[in-house]
Amino acid sequence: MSTYILAIETSCDETSMAIIKDGHDEIATVVLSQMDTHANYGGVVPEIASRMHIENITLVAEEVLRKANMKMDDITAIAVTYGPGLIGSLLIGLMAAKTLAFIYHKPLVPVHHIAGHIYANNLVRQLEFPLIALVISGGHTELIYMKEDYSFEKLGGTLDDAVGEAYDKVARVIDVPYPGGPLVDKLAHEGKDTYPLPLPLDDDSYNFSFSGLKSAVINLVHNEKQRGQDIIKENMATSFQNRVVEILTKKTLKALKEYDVHNLIVAGGVAANKGLRERLTKECLANDIHLIVPEIKYCTDNAAMIGAAGYFAYKLGRRADLNLNAKASDMLH
Amino acid sequence: MKYLFIDSATATLVVAIIIDDKITYIYNQKVGKDMSSVIILERDGKIIRQKRITEQKENSKLIMPTVKKVLNKEKPDSIIVVNGPGSFTGIRVGLTVAKMMSWALNIPVVPLSSLEVIASTPTSENNIALIDARRGFVYAGVYDNDLNVIMEDKHMELAKLNIDGQIVSYDDFAGIKPNLDILKVIKKHEKDKDINPHKLNPKYLKLTEAEEKLNRQNDNGSK
Repeated sequence: MSTYILAIETSCDETSMAIIKDGHDEIATVVLSQMDTHANYGGVVPEIASRMHIENITLVAEEVLRKANMKMDDITAIAVTYGPGLIGSLLIGLMAAKTLAFIYHKPLVPVHHIAGHIYANNLVRQLEFPLIALVISGGHTELIYMKEDYSFEKLGGTLDDAVGEAYDKVARVIDVPYPGGPLVDKLAHEGKDTYPLPLPLDDDSYNFSFSGLKSAVINLVHNEKQRGQDIIKENMATSFQNRVVEILTKKTLKALKEYDVHNLIVAGGVAANKGLRERLTKECLANDIHLIVPEIKYCTDNAAMIGAAGYFAYKLGRRADLNLNAKASDMLH
Repeated sequence: MKYLFIDSATATLVVAIIIDDKITYIYNQKVGKDMSSVIILERDGKIIRQKRITEQKENSKLIMPTVKKVLNKEKPDSIIVVNGPGSFTGIRVGLTVAKMMSWALNIPVVPLSSLEVIASTPTSENNIALIDARRGFVYAGVYDNDLNVIMEDKHMELAKLNIDGQIVSYDDFAGIKPNLDILKVIKKHEKDKDINPHKLNPKYLKLTEAEEKLNRQNDNGSK
């Protein structure tokens, strides 16, 4: 018999629900993005995000069932992102999930947001193990080793800014509007690597650090301004992106080699970055690595990925009680 | 009629079942660590009731197990829920449950004010209900003994709250336990028209700081 997971994701600024069959078959997904609203403030405002989630939560639930042409009785279990993320936002999805689990007597499955990003790839093609996952987004930069399904060993992560955060901050400094990441990526394809920027945290660890690189960009822009000159945005974007791609690629390849792994998956919003995709594709081809990068729609936050991860968590017997609480931060396990 | 009542706008979580004008189960419990207070004052400014508001995240843990316990496997006919003012997160926790239940079970839901619930405490005079909104502000509402609105709920400076010539200060907030009359609140609202759960939203009575800042910038820009 098939397993249908109703998944709920509200960890940041997307109100999303999905119905996923057997961990890989996307029956229906609804994503209500608040990006246009938050663009007015130059970034996600947590309280506004929470306010918009509660306004839309029942509408999204109704729409996903309508789209799937299913009833709650057809659902096997309810999976929900309990963290990490914005606490006020997480709570809306969590309370909705708990209410539905209670009313319909369904198992409640807690899902870690990062597990969701990783399992987004399972919607594209079944994961092959062992694998290395590079999770990169506005809130995360992590290298994870997976021996088998739902086993996560964190090799390293960012010590300060997440890579997507660094993109947004650099975008602001060079006057690129919010959301800066995708636009910097686009500019990077039009410029030349002319600015002397450092390769950040180029050491033997699997950790990352992007605040130094960001500061270097700020200093360069400032110095040019003092000399009465403007920086060439395209060239700054290229120089910045080249360093980011270089260090991400370098440490990822090192992990693949050291752990003797031939499967790489890239996940998270920054997985949509073209510069990184191109470079990793090239390197993986040269090193006999099987690379999976999800479609753009699975890179940003969505409940489909929570439904995919939720299926494996459900199969492993992971369950939560009705007193499940949201967690702003939590180790992936 | 079987009503489910939920008030999570302050840290004293109240969940109750009311069947045929009788409270058959009420959970009225403060949770977590103290953060600020709810105060009920008499007309002369004397404090008669107070309850402490606590860390609202804890309501998120307590509320579903409590609803499950009070419902005791039975389905309510109607939901009466507090939709503000109070802790933003606290309001949303209870209201999300009410919205989802109303939508999923297709039962009516009626919203009401947290200040009215606080003002349900029996007194001989009008009840001035206050909830600490921090930084010298309060959410304030005045209700008579039959819960008719004397002053609409609003977000205001505590220093500007003038009760019979008296200015109430924070120093007056001494600790006395609450004594809410939930039955009176239910009776007052049982004839209210229910709201489509999709359209049931919090009444914060206050914009977010980001919105206030943006509005100020826009005002300055237009001058």
